[in-house]
Amino acid sequence: MTEPVFAVEHLSLAYPARRGQPAARILHDVSFRVERGQALTLVGPSGSGKSSLLRCLNRLEEPSGGVVRFEGRDICSLDPRRLRREAAMVTQAPVLFDGTVRDNLLLRPAGIGGDFSDARLGRTLAEVGLDARALERDAATLSGGEKQRVTIARALLGDPRVLLLDEPTSALDPPNAALVVETVLRLREARGLTIVVSTHQPELVRRLGGELMFLVEGEVRTDQRPDAFLAGERSAREPAA
Amino acid sequence: MSSGVIDLSPWQLGLALLLVAAVMAVSIRQALGLQRDLALGTLRTIVQLYGVGLILAAVFAAARWYWVVLILLAMTGVATHAAVSRLSRPLPGAYSIAAAALTVSTVATLAYVIFVVVQVHPWYDPQYIIPIAGMILGNSMTGAALAGERLQGELRARAAEVETRLVLGFSGPEAVQPLVRSALRAAMIPTVNGMMTVGLVQLPGMMTGQILAGSSPLVAIRYQIVVMFMLAAATAVGSLIFVRLAARCYLTPAQQLRRYLL
Repeated sequence: MTEPVFAVEHLSLAYPARRGQPAARILHDVSFRVERGQALTLVGPSGSGKSSLLRCLNRLEEPSGGVVRFEGRDICSLDPRRLRREAAMVTQAPVLFDGTVRDNLLLRPAGIGGDFSDARLGRTLAEVGLDARALERDAATLSGGEKQRVTIARALLGDPRVLLLDEPTSALDPPNAALVVETVLRLREARGLTIVVSTHQPELVRRLGGELMFLVEGEVRTDQRPDAFLAGERSAREPAA
Repeated sequence: MSSGVIDLSPWQLGLALLLVAAVMAVSIRQALGLQRDLALGTLRTIVQLYGVGLILAAVFAAARWYWVVLILLAMTGVATHAAVSRLSRPLPGAYSIAAAALTVSTVATLAYVIFVVVQVHPWYDPQYIIPIAGMILGNSMTGAALAGERLQGELRARAAEVETRLVLGFSGPEAVQPLVRSALRAAMIPTVNGMMTVGLVQLPGMMTGQILAGSSPLVAIRYQIVVMFMLAAATAVGSLIFVRLAARCYLTPAQQLRRYLL
């Protein structure tokens, strides 16, 4: 039997009191598994701990309790740089650096091998629905949706097995959000990627399928379905009649 | 024309005090509310400089290496405290970092200037080592404080950039390198700009002092040239060590950014 891609057991995350700020409990006793090629969608209100959970999977945060296993190994025993290349994270607000789209796609540590030819960059852009001619464009001139898709392409160039997407559509208008949803669905289909995504986007939840996890105040709620929450999100996104 | 120094009598210092009285009048007239600070500042200027003068006179007269080292240690302690107190947010280990940066930059620059460039005998001659060390420490302190302050600001403003590099597989030091570079530039720019305009806008304090004390302007400029180069080196070394060590405080061994420190 193959190991799950992620096995999370009793994960807790808390920040101690600092500089006048009270101690904060971010995640409490969270357990779940994500099998290879599967999708897990994290939903929940703002501040429920979805982003923090993704950051723990990518080891940008150090849990205060519990264990996260990646393909059977405790992530504390792995080189975080390697973990982050194999489980690539795309953040909520796309961060692109000064320069062209090509400069941004080529941004990686020295000594990382692989094919970074223009042909491959062009193919990867095509995977996220962008034209290869975009390589020459100044990254600052891209729309929000294009920026987000370039950050997904940048993550894909490391040939990850998992994509961790932190509210990839929340900073986008509906047409751009729809394009990013299409991109994620296409990638899952074409590359067989395992996907863990946090989102408020009911359309992404519905079309991605897979498992759904409802987080409220840092805890997994198994006693209720997030239907009412998602219905509320849907009506908030639809224009008033 | 006399080349000697005109000694200033207490009566002449009293006349100089009239200049402060003029500032006081401006403050009262324009309702600046600076009278109390001005009075305190005037008093501190007199007391502190007389105090330092008496200590230096005693050290100069004794000419013992251990007194000189003790004075240098005290100066380094004060400079360390001043550099740390300029940081806008607390940084764990800031005192050790500042002390290490200022000590290394001062010892290295001072040793080169005293032993190699000026070739002072004995090396601890207080007439040379104390003013030169004072200038080096002052500039290292300003450079380290500017670099530290800038690094903290850059980390707060560009945390998302740093984490983007981390998620792309960069190590912590690689991820903060552009911010470190920016902090070092901020620390070095005043020194480099000073080298561009030295002598054109105003005569530097040390050169002015030497000329007033009767030195030939040609001797004074040679010393000033050494001082300018020495200060550039001290600022670069001090701010480089400070900012490199400070940047490490914001990173964990697991290549994470300690966001709670920002």
